[in-house]
This record gives sequence, structure tokens and C-alpha cells, in this order.
Amino acid sequence: MIEWYPVFLKEMLHFKRKLLRMGYIFSAMMAPIIYLITFGVGLGRTVRLSEGNDYLTFLLPGLVAMSSMNNSYSWVASSLNLSRIYFKTFQVYIQSPVKPFSIMIGEVLAGMVKGLFASLLIIVVGFLVPSKFSINLIFVVTLLLNCFMFASLGVITGMITKSHEDTATYSNFFIMPMAFFSGTFFSIDRIPAIFKPMIYIMPLTHTNILIRKTFIDIEGLISLIVIIFYCFCFFIIGSNLMKKYSE
Amino acid sequence: MIRLESISKSYGKVKAVDSLSFEIKKGEIFGLLGPNGAGKTTTVKILTTLTKPDKGACYIDEIDVVSNPFEIKKIIGVVPQENNLERELTVYENLMVYGMLHKVRNLKNRIDEALLTMDLQDKKNSVVSNLSGGLQRRTLLARALLPQPKVLFLDEPSIGLDPHIRRELWQIIRGIKAHGRTVLLTTHYIEEAEALCDRVGILSHGKLIALGSPQELKKQIGEYVVEFMDYEGKLFSEICRSREEAYEIAKKRGDGVTIRRSNLEDVFVKLTGERIKQQ
Repeated sequence: MIEWYPVFLKEMLHFKRKLLRMGYIFSAMMAPIIYLITFGVGLGRTVRLSEGNDYLTFLLPGLVAMSSMNNSYSWVASSLNLSRIYFKTFQVYIQSPVKPFSIMIGEVLAGMVKGLFASLLIIVVGFLVPSKFSINLIFVVTLLLNCFMFASLGVITGMITKSHEDTATYSNFFIMPMAFFSGTFFSIDRIPAIFKPMIYIMPLTHTNILIRKTFIDIEGLISLIVIIFYCFCFFIIGSNLMKKYSE
Repeated sequence: MIRLESISKSYGKVKAVDSLSFEIKKGEIFGLLGPNGAGKTTTVKILTTLTKPDKGACYIDEIDVVSNPFEIKKIIGVVPQENNLERELTVYENLMVYGMLHKVRNLKNRIDEALLTMDLQDKKNSVVSNLSGGLQRRTLLARALLPQPKVLFLDEPSIGLDPHIRRELWQIIRGIKAHGRTVLLTTHYIEEAEALCDRVGILSHGKLIALGSPQELKKQIGEYVVEFMDYEGKLFSEICRSREEAYEIAKKRGDGVTIRRSNLEDVFVKLTGERIKQQ
């Protein structure tokens, strides 16, 4: 049997139970829908885009990227943090003959499913509202990589935080700024040059660049390489944290 | 089966375990007895690969726990002090995930056997959080036994349980021993250690202060205890080597004196001047 499967299965059993609670689906959709209405339908009417696209068409891929980031990241970070510190269920993995690498894969895949599910809800809404929103292969690959990258980052947070409150702190410092300044709601071209190096360090910036591409140009290629680099780094760091785990 | 050689572990300035050395024989129920903070759980955490010791070496079935934790995980089962079942999942789901993690063959049959042994068949599809404390403990035991471990670690197995459920649990633990498994249990319940353990190691402030069978340890300090109260109602006790000696002391004290057999609490008091239960 594949070693990561029981880790993934356990998370999916939890996810299935959460899905059965109607409130969960609505809560997963709530933030992106609010953004869609506020920025897309409300403020979006006053926004002019240089590419000639309407604002909703610009906004929807960004919302998908943001939603996949939030859900992949927070699912894994919270779940790991709670299971490690409060419920002690993480001990079961550590005391089982399963390699840390396999635990990492199971956790990341579970986070990806959660991120993809939340993204799917936005995609469905995207096709229902009047826009030129469409999906291509680059969009799908970017979405998958984004979920992988942020689920891996979630593992790092889940492993290093010392309390559940810390998870929220990390989220406020890293995830929240990314959601607003990485090109989700407006093009990063509008950001003052002095801040641009910082913006280009943020992983979500590259997701937002790549997810809106219809073909891979130089800019897209650089973003793809950066995303793969982050995926690799986060995954290795997360695996090592699991390997070195000691209470 | 289990060997500890000068194991030490500190958390900051606190020495949780201090140069701990002892051996546990195959097929024996060995109890680590001591008050809270004595180092019992840390010892279990070290032996079950959850914590790395600062110093020393330990072996289970001649496998080095520190350098080869992966092999250790294949032969141990753990029932932790804190319930670490997945509370939102059913009993069956908990066992299934655990069995898969431990690569148990014929998993469905093994789960059915474990449920039968722990008398949990009718709770198979119950969500863990809906079960009583006793049933959750039994589920933890069923889970730990699923991969048929050579060594079972029980960290305070009956903590928080009603007396009659505790006795039920003791029967189950005796059954586990009957199957030839080695059991290491930690407890701060005197009766539990006396009722279950072939040998006991008494811990105080991370150090092993006594080792032997409950009978041997009690014999070492004296088998009888005379208890009496002073004018302020404070309880005093005196340990005696023989019944005759106890009668002599009782006679001198006059009324309100009781004579009873010594227990492991008396051993602990004699050795440390402290009580296990009060701490």
C-alpha cells in the first residue's frame, strides 16, 4: 500500500464530515463571493484595465488563486497545529512505521483537495457571472501548483507554531498581505517601483501572473520556475520538520 | 526485552529523567510508579520514539530506539495518557487508519478481532466523541493491539475512569499479558500497580529509587503498618517488620490504632518522605 494514503484518507474522512455540514460550503465561498461582489460588481465598474478586458474577467482567476491559497494553507496549518498541540493525534503518525516524507505527501495532498474544492466553487460562480472567464491548461497546472505550494507552507506553519493563536498571526503576516498585494485585485504594474521587489518575492504574485496567461511567455516562464522553486523549498523544509519532530 | 542505560532528558532546567537504567523481561507487566512529574511519561515518550533522550541508550528487542526508531515502531503499541483518537471519526475509521499506517495484513479481520476482544462490536460505527471515557480507553487499547505488537506501552491507562471500569480494564491488561506480550505501564494508582505488575520501578524526580516485585518492595520496608492519630487529628504511621512488632506498637498507643498491610505508597513514603497521591 502507498504509505501516504492513510494520512490522506484520515484527512479526507474529516473533510467528508465537514462537507456534510452545510455551513462549511457556504463559509468556504463567503470571502471570495464578498470580494467578487464588492470589487467585481461594485468597485470594478470604475476600473479600467490596460489589456482591454473587463474587470470581472481579470478578477476571477485572482480570486481562484487567492481562495486556493487560503484554503490549502489554512486547512493544513490548522489541522496540523491542532493535532500536534491540542488533540495529540499527530503522535499517531510519529509512532507509526511511516516515513516523514510520506506523512508530508499525505498532508499536502489533503490540503490540495481542500484548496481545489474551494477553487471549484469560485470557478462555478465565475461561469455564472457575465465575464470572459475561461480555463486553459496553464490555469489548471498553476492552480495545482499553487495548492501544492501553499499546502506545503501550511505544513511548515503547522509544525513550527507553538499555539493555535500563532497560526492566525502567521496568516496575518504572510497570507493576508499576499491576498491583497500580489495581483489578485489589481495589476502589480500599479504598485510603486520601490515595493515591487517585495511583491515579486511573494509566491502568490507568480501564481497570479501565470494563472492569467493564455500562453507561456518569458514572464510566465519565470513565474513558473519561481513557483516550482517555492514548491520544492516548502516541501523539503516541511519534510525535514517532520523528520526532526521530537516532543 | 526493554533495556534502558543511563537515560537522561531535560526540558530547560528541569530534569525530567535522570540517568535512568532498568530492564524489563519478555512477557512481564512492568509498572513505572510515581507521582505526577516523576518522569514516567517522558520515559514512555523516549521508548516510543516520540522524544529523543539527551544522554544514554535504550533498546527494545535489542533494537536501538534512538538510532533505529523506524524498526521500533513496527513492534510497539502505545496507549497514551491523553486520548489521541480522532474524535470526529468512528471507532472503525480510527482502527482502519491506524491499521493502514502500521501496514496490518487482513486488516478487516484484524479489526473485527480487536473489536471482539475489547467488546466493542456494537460501537463499531459510533463516533468516538459520543463514547464514554471507558469505551474510548477500550478503543485506544483495540487500536494499539491491532498490529499485534511485541511490546505494549500503557501510559496511565485508567486515569479518569470509574473504579468498576478500571477493574474491567485490568482484566483486559491481564489478558494481553496472557498472550505473551510485554507490557510497560505507568501509573500513580497504588492499587493498579499492585494488582497488575510483576515488577515495579518507583520514580521520583526522574530517578529510579526502587525496583522489584510489589511483594519484594513491601518486604524490604516492612510488611505491616500501624496507623494512629494525634490529638489534632493528624494521621501518623509506623512501618513494622512483623505482625508481632505491629501489635506491640499498637498496644503502646492504645485506642484509635489500626494495623494494616503495607502497600507501595508506604514504600514511596519511606524512600522519599513524600506521598504519591497528594502530589
